[in-house]
Amino acid sequence: MIPIAYWRNRKLYTRLIGSRCKKCGAEYFPPVKVCKKCGSTEIEEKEMPKTGTIVSFTKLTEPPVDFKDYAPIYLAMIRLDNGILVLGQLADAESEEIKIGARVMATIRKWTEDGQSGIIYYGYKFKII
Amino acid sequence: MRLNSAILGYGAYVPKYRISTEEIARIWFGEGSGPNRMKAVASYDEDALTMAYEAASIALKMAKYPEIEAILVGSESKPYAVKPMGSILSDIFGFNKILGVDLEFACKGGTEAVQMISGMITSGVIKHGLAIGSDTAQGRPADDLEYTAASGAGAVVLGQPNGNEIAKITHSVTFVTDTPDFWRRPKEHYPTHLGRFTGEPAYFTHIMSSVKLLFEETGYKPSDFNYAIFHQPNPKFPVEVGKRLGFTDEQLKPGLLNDELGNSYSANTLVALNAVLDVSKPGDKILLSSFGSGAGSDTFVIEVVSKPDDDDYIPLREKLKKYVEIDYATYSKWRNKIIR
Amino acid sequence: MSKVYIKSVGLVPVGEHWNKSLTDLMVEASLNALKNAGNVKIDRIIVGNMMSGYLNNQEHLGALLASALGMKGIDSLKVEAACGSGGMAVHEGYVSIKSGEFENVLVVGVEKMKDADTSVLTKALAMAESAEFTQVVGASFISLNALLMKMYMNRYNVQEDHLDIFPVIAHKNAVTAPHAQFKKAFTIEDVKRSPYIAEPIRLLSSAPSSDGAAAVLLSSKPADVEILASEVSTNELMLSQRENPLKFEATEKAFKKAVEKSGIDSSKVDFLEIHDAFPIVAAVSLEAMGYSEEGKAAHDAAKGKYNFEGDLPILTFGGLKARGHPVGGTGVYQVAEAYMQLSGTAGKNQVQGAKVGVTQNVGGIDTTSIVHIMRKVS
Repeated sequence: MIPIAYWRNRKLYTRLIGSRCKKCGAEYFPPVKVCKKCGSTEIEEKEMPKTGTIVSFTKLTEPPVDFKDYAPIYLAMIRLDNGILVLGQLADAESEEIKIGARVMATIRKWTEDGQSGIIYYGYKFKII
Repeated sequence: MRLNSAILGYGAYVPKYRISTEEIARIWFGEGSGPNRMKAVASYDEDALTMAYEAASIALKMAKYPEIEAILVGSESKPYAVKPMGSILSDIFGFNKILGVDLEFACKGGTEAVQMISGMITSGVIKHGLAIGSDTAQGRPADDLEYTAASGAGAVVLGQPNGNEIAKITHSVTFVTDTPDFWRRPKEHYPTHLGRFTGEPAYFTHIMSSVKLLFEETGYKPSDFNYAIFHQPNPKFPVEVGKRLGFTDEQLKPGLLNDELGNSYSANTLVALNAVLDVSKPGDKILLSSFGSGAGSDTFVIEVVSKPDDDDYIPLREKLKKYVEIDYATYSKWRNKIIR
Repeated sequence: MSKVYIKSVGLVPVGEHWNKSLTDLMVEASLNALKNAGNVKIDRIIVGNMMSGYLNNQEHLGALLASALGMKGIDSLKVEAACGSGGMAVHEGYVSIKSGEFENVLVVGVEKMKDADTSVLTKALAMAESAEFTQVVGASFISLNALLMKMYMNRYNVQEDHLDIFPVIAHKNAVTAPHAQFKKAFTIEDVKRSPYIAEPIRLLSSAPSSDGAAAVLLSSKPADVEILASEVSTNELMLSQRENPLKFEATEKAFKKAVEKSGIDSSKVDFLEIHDAFPIVAAVSLEAMGYSEEGKAAHDAAKGKYNFEGDLPILTFGGLKARGHPVGGTGVYQVAEAYMQLSGTAGKNQVQGAKVGVTQNVGGIDTTSIVHIMRKVS
């Protein structure tokens, strides 16, 4: 992972800060610079709701190299309560029965770290509520 | 010290996983168990920071998000040796004009944070602060302390008393000596301790000295308190020290958690405080005495003023009912005890 | 504007080539194509490739190939569109000739994947989606496809093993394909015995990692096969940003445009090389092109529609699953295979009387869709 790229987006990753189009009201996560619905560039920051529902999920046994130590990784598509679809990991998934339709809440966990001497990447994961 | 700070919000976070001490004993001795039944184990993607975030989130919500001017986190398992958790929590919570530093005094880092922030509030230097104790305690394999070295976080939002607070902190004392009962050198992964020496000369001497100091300063006696919380390194010590000091089982019981959770080190007494505040009533008095190896003890007088006003708040013991037991292999993998 | 013909093709058999470097692969395919073309002077080289930088420490592939072929001075470039890099390279070659700027363009698709550890490869392939928001949460390309597959299964009440018909079709066709990586047929039961990589996608339902290179020589001068249309469309980069992730609108649009441009009757296509990276992609691609109704592709496949002897043969040499998937090379392999079908040089894999063929190559998950329609020049 790239520390400075992470730093740039750290608030997005820990607080789910996305965008809202000032013109048509459409909301986005990840943030956008151009509204996909109306094309406006008048965009403001908007913190996303932290609760949602599982739309799909999987258990990845072969993660990419930066996450190798954390296999298996539980990933899900979550429909947040404002209608937006977000991709994220599930926290404490190994001990839960995961179902499409289950309610989840965003929390902060360690995504990965750059070895013993690198930084720790903290970000959102969803836990079943 | 006469303090005049208020608890405006409190919260605790205990990871959902447990390992039984029977399972630990099975691996190392083929039989037996520890002094406690189970301990809480942080998942592989949790650390002192993530747990501090969880506990603080609950406390901040209960306190209705005041402008925080100091975030002090006590821990002996800091994710970074250099880079305080306050710096990370600053951007997570959106409080950038803060004093944000990590504190270490073994298991009393959390209560040190409470003292220091209370001091800043009492003297009027700040209006609101966040005191946290959080640890993923490292238990040396096959050592006695492996049974109890656990994970957890406790947080309190402190501010100026105004009559609407949940509780007031009216006094604190601290008692410190140079006592090498338990320590950790910088490059060591696990702490080292001197066995039975951690009992009388360390735990008992410091807690009793600190509590007696408080009694002298304030004129309070055990019967003035509805609850007593003592640092819980194992299930027996707090009960024993309570007895010696003249407290009853009823005063201690609501705060006893070691049997099911183990010892969350810097979070220990703050998590117990959470459990007690959940059941206490306005007008109740709580004595809280922490112990940090090295060694020292902080003792507080806490007066309950009102119940929390938060519809979403779930009492700690309710949350603790749901947990998942793991085996030693999973525990080893998650707590990084396996060389790859 | 010129017409665009395929003059010749050259293929390296897809597989694990410990002794062939990225350059070796490109050169071998190129020399094959040039030899098969006879005396043709090429005026442009286009290399399609996705991961040469991250996996092989090599960029600047256009100039590299020109140098290696002793052709310094020539116009050359690298084209990248994730797993659609090959198809995009063919598209760029088509546009080069159609515009009248170039006469003979050598298009080479190549990927050298086997020098890398699986987990490194997994990271590289995930670069098809967002670095800032997909890769950081630890998602892999396969996991995204798995999430999509589960949505599909849930929406249309289709089981995992219904969709496994596609790898079975692929492998059956590859048995007689000389350049295929896997020449062994298997059954749905075989697929189900293999472990999950990202449930519900298994090892045997997932396209392999491969080394390979394919070259096609495009020309403005008439030859045996003509490219009637080369169309590209794109979808939102991130699956989660799509209003309906189950709708492959890029494939739908590219196919529609290509059918219009070429003037063919899409119901009279003789074979179809689809981007069968995973069964879910095969199924939804067929549905997006209108060959099956939504949710029904696996059902139609089970009925034999897409078998070699069926109404619309797909994956005639094994597709991504069995012929193999050297990522940047795949799109060019597809076009080369279409050439073989339409020029009657497909050997044991010949679709009898093939006159019109379609290839669909995709970068990401329907993120960039490239459709080519080709015909036999009578």
